[in-house]
Amino acid sequence: MELNKLDLFSIRLIAPEIILISIALILILLDLVIKRKETIAFVGVLGTLTAAYVNYKLCAMGWTGSTLLGMFAFDGYANFFKLIFYINIILTIFISLRYMVLEEASFGEYYSLILFATSGMMFMASAVDLIVLYVGLELMALSTYILVGITRRQVRSNEAALKYFFLGAFSSAFLLYGISLTYGLTGTTNLKEIASALQNLNLLENPILFLGMILVIAAFGFKIALVPFHMWAPDAYEGAPTSITSFMSIGPKAAAFAALGRVLFDAFGPMHVQWSSILIPLSVITMAAGNIIAIAQTNIKRMLAYSSIAHAGYALLGIIAGTHGGLSSMMNYMAIYAFMNIGAFAVVIMLRSKGFRGEELTDYEGLAKSHPAASALMLIFMFSLTGIPPTAGFIAKFYIFMEAINAGYTPLVIIAVIFSAISAFFYLRVVMYMYMKEPKAHVTLSTSPAIFLTIAVTAAVTLILGLFPSLLVELAKMSIAGF
Amino acid sequence: MNIGITAIKVVIVISVTMLHVAYVVYFERKVIGHMQARLGPMRVGPHGLLQPIADGIKLFFKEDIIPSGADKPIFYIAPVIGVIAVLASLAVIPLWEGFSIADLNIGVLYILALSSVGAYSVILAGWASNSKYSFLGGLRSSAQVISYEIALGLSLVGIMMLSGSANLSDIVRAQSDYPFVLIQPLAFFVFLVSMIAETNRAPFDLPEAESELVAGYFTEYSGMRFGLFFMAEYAAMFIMSAVATVCFLGGWNGPDFWVFSYVPKIAWFLIKVYALIFFYFWIRATLPRYRYDQLMGLGWKLFIPLALVNIGVTGLVKESSNPIVIKL
Amino acid sequence: MPGTYIPLNYLPVLIILIVATLVGLLPLLLGIILRPKRYYPLKLTPYESGNPPVGEPQSKFSVRFYIIAMLFVVFDVEAVFLYPWAVAYDRIGLYGFIEMIIFIFILLIGYIYVWEKKALEWE
Repeated sequence: MELNKLDLFSIRLIAPEIILISIALILILLDLVIKRKETIAFVGVLGTLTAAYVNYKLCAMGWTGSTLLGMFAFDGYANFFKLIFYINIILTIFISLRYMVLEEASFGEYYSLILFATSGMMFMASAVDLIVLYVGLELMALSTYILVGITRRQVRSNEAALKYFFLGAFSSAFLLYGISLTYGLTGTTNLKEIASALQNLNLLENPILFLGMILVIAAFGFKIALVPFHMWAPDAYEGAPTSITSFMSIGPKAAAFAALGRVLFDAFGPMHVQWSSILIPLSVITMAAGNIIAIAQTNIKRMLAYSSIAHAGYALLGIIAGTHGGLSSMMNYMAIYAFMNIGAFAVVIMLRSKGFRGEELTDYEGLAKSHPAASALMLIFMFSLTGIPPTAGFIAKFYIFMEAINAGYTPLVIIAVIFSAISAFFYLRVVMYMYMKEPKAHVTLSTSPAIFLTIAVTAAVTLILGLFPSLLVELAKMSIAGF
Repeated sequence: MNIGITAIKVVIVISVTMLHVAYVVYFERKVIGHMQARLGPMRVGPHGLLQPIADGIKLFFKEDIIPSGADKPIFYIAPVIGVIAVLASLAVIPLWEGFSIADLNIGVLYILALSSVGAYSVILAGWASNSKYSFLGGLRSSAQVISYEIALGLSLVGIMMLSGSANLSDIVRAQSDYPFVLIQPLAFFVFLVSMIAETNRAPFDLPEAESELVAGYFTEYSGMRFGLFFMAEYAAMFIMSAVATVCFLGGWNGPDFWVFSYVPKIAWFLIKVYALIFFYFWIRATLPRYRYDQLMGLGWKLFIPLALVNIGVTGLVKESSNPIVIKL
Repeated sequence: MPGTYIPLNYLPVLIILIVATLVGLLPLLLGIILRPKRYYPLKLTPYESGNPPVGEPQSKFSVRFYIIAMLFVVFDVEAVFLYPWAVAYDRIGLYGFIEMIIFIFILLIGYIYVWEKKALEWE
């Protein structure tokens, strides 16, 4: 029987996803009976740790391969991204606990949706078939739309969710158009088979296929907020609850990068010349727009939104390089970006207290006087986002630029370095406000052990990876070995 | 396939159905009348037999009023959509062995799809009329129809599992030994109630509850347009009874011994259909109207779970007869 | 060849659609000649128990209807998934059964959730 190919043995490879989805479903039911949201969050964290442990065990047994009729790959590349996703869930839940109570939006569904969104991302990272990729993307996107609008009594949150939803729906449509054009010409949705069909059917110069590829790139461009597909990002980032801003600046972005990397390398690998010619201008305008518009922002969440756009531009260099080294430097970049960005958002969240939003840059004036520790940590994260040496941000940029130069894209790297220098202006402005201005109003920090832990971990990792980069770089290289 | 023959078949089936519709109305008035110790129509012709004809002719001479502020194009086409959706469903109904206008292998889906299209005529009529009663009636009706459509659709899943086909003729052939109602009584019950709700008939005629909504979604309709809605409703009863007959009561199959074997197949089919239509009238004469929240609660909280349970049990029983093989 | 495929099975469906459209339209067209046309503004006002209509008819309505519509989409898609499964049930065996049980189970959790959140209640 045909269906016996889907035997129980290979199902084990999606055990982490199954665990995560089961936990998310259990959370929905738990929410109906348990009123303490901390319990639900705890179960969520526990489930994520279980999934991560099972994933680790599967890796440790040395299993790689594909399941679900060859549509789902279990390999180092996917597992590296899944590591980012697990960290993202746990740290997001940590920073949400206190914050969502302050926003009066402490729902059990919140944690469940985070798990659903993440399982969608995991399917994206593992998908070697365009259909599975699309399903994963939709699971991620639909959950994220709701999360953005979950503070439903705030107008700006509703607005953000609506904008994100509409533009997200467009991008899904683009992706489907791209997939159907590709499928129509190659007769398959499997990435490897697409690549061989490109060669065998002599489609490399086919304009329709080129159009399909552009549509796929545009769809992922929406998800990773490349200029000119970035319009939703600032509003969605500003309107969403801050914990979700942090979650979606890392998870969906990393997932889209993972999928983009796999699609471009596996399926459209033979068309490197074509797709890099699209991605290079996109990367340049993304870095330009992100960094320059960020200067004009007075709201720190908006500023970090543009900063995340700019970072997507840098990370794109790793894909443009078109080499395995480039890909591993992109993976590096996403992992480091996850830590420093969650850290920065955790500090932003601490400033939020009852009746005080703490999102304006001016709220940071003189913070160093009243809260020296928090300011020092924010300083680390801002340095890291800028890319100043002893921090991990520098390492991330260094490796990605190096790989791009190795692949022969020196002019592009020079542009990136220039914009990186420009970015120092708005990152260091936060530092300047904290250390060189007099405090205007008294700011109370809303702290909790979980948020302390988050900031401690992210700051420590940011510094440690800055000093001993080989820890992560080697892991990324190892992960990609069998790609 | 000969287009001419098909066209003739189509015309015959549709005109016979229309005649049936006319006399089903008469049948209903007589049945209800006698159940209420009245005589029903008696004046036009012997025992009022020409009453439906007189009613039909009357409708042609009635003024066609379109309320001011109505959305004219939509107001015009809404009843037509209803009639098309219902009459087109006739295409897949197998009247006897080998006779159905279109022998589609997705017959069940086709019927359900067209019954969804029928919901459009109701909501569009309610929307376009520019009247509060129509609007509320249309909303209620569409919500009711889509709610019961789920239970209706799910109750047929068990039938498809047993017959292994969604082709209505195949489903009838699978019942040559015994009708499925014997082994799917739960599904039959769900279907029977859902089909009454789906056709907006008493006791689920909330959309046209005259004591609160005048006439529901067709309050503003008059003349022939009203007639079309009327026709669609009675034709829908016929279709739903026919589907129930085909899926649960064995369609054209009848007892095959003694004098029964001389009865033509079509007669068995029609007897079953008319028994179900009589059931409609019987229910109408017996039961009081439901309240709207009770109606929706019944659909969502009782019939959907029942239908799902039925599917699970059917699957389990069917699976338990097979040896379990797990290949590792 | 996919390009030359003509679904002949469906030709009768096309014919019956045409005939049904005629059945719907002909009485109306015939009626144009036969029926009287004596309109005046009062006759054309929407019915509101004999009073002049007040306000907009298509105003806000209960949010319940939206919820029912959304739930319908979820459950109807489920039903649509069940049809091909049911038809192929003999051939897919135990795997098919278990998979569908999982599918229905996930939906059931949503159903319990919706029920507990009172989305199925009116008033």
